[in-house]
Amino acid sequence: MKKISQFIKRYWQLFSAAAVILVIGLGVFGYSRSQVHDASGRTRVVFWHEMKGPGQKKLVTFINEFNKSQSKYEIVPQFQGGYNDVIQKIMNTHGTDASPAIFQSMDISTSQMYHSGFTVPMQKFVDKENYDVSKIASVARGVATRKGTLLAMPFNTSQTTLYYNAGLLKKYNITPPPVDPTYSDITRVSKQLYDRSNHKVKGISVESYSWLFEQFLSNANEEFANQHDGHTGISTKVNFTGPTAIKSMTWVQDRVKYGDFMNFGSHKNEMAAFLSNKLGIYMQTSADMSVLAKGLGKNLGVTYYPRPDGVKANGISVGGASLWISNDKSEAVQQGAWEFTKFLINPKNQARWEKATGYLAINQDSANEPILKQSYEKLPMLKVPSDQLKSAKANYTNSGIFVDGVVAARSLIQNAMQQIYAGKDVYKSLKAAEDSYNKVLESNNLANGWTK
Amino acid sequence: MIESLPSTKQQPKGPEANDKLTAKVKSFELKKNDKYYAWLFLGPSILLLTVFVFFPMLRTLYLSLFLTDTFGKPTVFVGLKNYTILLKSASYIASLKATGTYVVSVSVFTIIFGLLLAAMANQKLRGIGFFRNIFTATMGVSVSVSAVFWLFMFNPTLGILNKVVIAFGFHPINWLTTPGWAMVAVIATTVWMHLGFTFLLFFGALQAVPKSLYDAADVSGATSRYQFWHITLPMISPTMFFVAVITLISGFKSFGLIDLMTGGGPTNATNLLVYRVYKDAFMNGNYAQASTEAIILTVIIAIITFVQFKLLAKRVNY
Repeated sequence: MKKISQFIKRYWQLFSAAAVILVIGLGVFGYSRSQVHDASGRTRVVFWHEMKGPGQKKLVTFINEFNKSQSKYEIVPQFQGGYNDVIQKIMNTHGTDASPAIFQSMDISTSQMYHSGFTVPMQKFVDKENYDVSKIASVARGVATRKGTLLAMPFNTSQTTLYYNAGLLKKYNITPPPVDPTYSDITRVSKQLYDRSNHKVKGISVESYSWLFEQFLSNANEEFANQHDGHTGISTKVNFTGPTAIKSMTWVQDRVKYGDFMNFGSHKNEMAAFLSNKLGIYMQTSADMSVLAKGLGKNLGVTYYPRPDGVKANGISVGGASLWISNDKSEAVQQGAWEFTKFLINPKNQARWEKATGYLAINQDSANEPILKQSYEKLPMLKVPSDQLKSAKANYTNSGIFVDGVVAARSLIQNAMQQIYAGKDVYKSLKAAEDSYNKVLESNNLANGWTK
Repeated sequence: MIESLPSTKQQPKGPEANDKLTAKVKSFELKKNDKYYAWLFLGPSILLLTVFVFFPMLRTLYLSLFLTDTFGKPTVFVGLKNYTILLKSASYIASLKATGTYVVSVSVFTIIFGLLLAAMANQKLRGIGFFRNIFTATMGVSVSVSAVFWLFMFNPTLGILNKVVIAFGFHPINWLTTPGWAMVAVIATTVWMHLGFTFLLFFGALQAVPKSLYDAADVSGATSRYQFWHITLPMISPTMFFVAVITLISGFKSFGLIDLMTGGGPTNATNLLVYRVYKDAFMNGNYAQASTEAIILTVIIAIITFVQFKLLAKRVNY
């Protein structure tokens, strides 16, 4: 023992020096890995994505196919975790070798990405090649567009959809809701299900998720923030207490009071209850489709997102994420990123994407691809979300919210929703969220120098 | 100490003084050598601490005095305004209260149940070794794994807990979506997670209490309850102090469990301070506010640890 301690004492400096060198060395190694060319002289295009599960599997297939299909570029996928993480990572790595050439970023980050000035607008590549973007669904483009310029390319696109368990409805002899339902259509089904099952089956669940709240507003053409949801300038005020906001939340609260509503706390629990016939209706992303169709088959019912009574459906905006090309890479790398983008959104690949993941094919020509045609013939309800997507014409309220820091607004709205579900006053809860977010918006605009 | 060194301008008086000076110079050389070693040994850790602790700390303090823009860069100086806004905000006060409830409950229940298990395992019974192993088992379970299976148990429609509740004739409980119950659920899970390690510490402490003390007490006719309060408890008090400190601090740091089980909800009922910092910084991108919250949290933990050492140290027998 003594010898060892002597040895350590004598060579302590050496050890510490070695440790320091090791740490620095590892850092440098990690840093230099994102180099421009690979061994065969292809241009490396680093792609950051946030896809998990079936999405990741399919995406990797696409990447391999793209890499084999040509010899100029090599796409290098790097999984980056959640949508929220990526925004911060992009903000902090831009201009270094660690930043990607092309990345996937979520719907509500559009404004922040635009203001960062870190990306090349997709429009530049579209114009250069006269690429026909009219084939891409108009509301999908809407979320990634600023004053007519396409900033990013929508890729994995989803919309909120209403699912109902048609098997349960049949069992209790309940007429299914129409494909474009109003709140009271859904109330009828939910109540009947709850009553006729002797309260064994819950009628409806609406996760306390702000995206759902935002879509209630979209579908009734109600603005979330001034300056037309930020599309025409910097928003300075938000509006969470408009007629539709109150109407939709009161509707949900009435369901809570009646008892046919249940708050499952998470999307996962909701889905589990739905699949095990304990819940009749829920609203979530259209991306649930593949799992639900597998679980329920012909007993799955799907409708458009509900609208207030007496209001024409305005259409809802898309969720999911778009592809952005960074401007801190060479022209050649940017070109590679664009080629890859085109590859991902071509009709065939979008059709395969929808089939594999439940994300909606944004290319209008995808519906003619045999792979989608076949699955629509087998289970016609699979087509409902994509009909919903196609039926909407983009305007300011169904093209997403062009405001920095919507994430923060979302957590405030979610808090308000939870309060409402717990029985608190609808107006007061929403007003509190609105006031808090207006303060955030004010200091955010001030910090970014957007106020005079 | 540089101040204590003799000035070289001072001329020595006579040969004796000269000797003294050489001795002093020699010792100075040695001291100089010490210094060299001191820097050599402390240098790396000072460097690492500076880069990873001191700099971020100062930076956090700095950020908390500004508004930060989209990139997280400080742009507008606001002084202490971030602090006053935060301390006035109802949701922050609610977070403070929730953290207090959580930390105190976790700490108290962990000590009670840990001690109970240890006391049971300390009995000499057949097959007790098996239980001693089982009781430490939660040490081997990671936060994410335990969160996942507690989530299953708390599931409102399929979870086992609600089946038990229904079997007893009560209404099923929405564990993680009712504010009060969500706190209970999170506390229960945390206590369960801490239990293995706490058990181990208490068990070790109980085994280390000299048997002769109990023998003497038996001889003088003390009841077992008296023995517990007057022998066992004082003897294991250092361990108890240690457990109190670590559970309190780890309670403040609880993050993974909150993130996986409730995400701070419902209605911010489990939005503990640390989770709030994370959410504000890395989800909402509001670095200024997150920094302010981090500074306040640091101050709170410092105060509590200080008080704990002052108060408890007096009552602990070492």
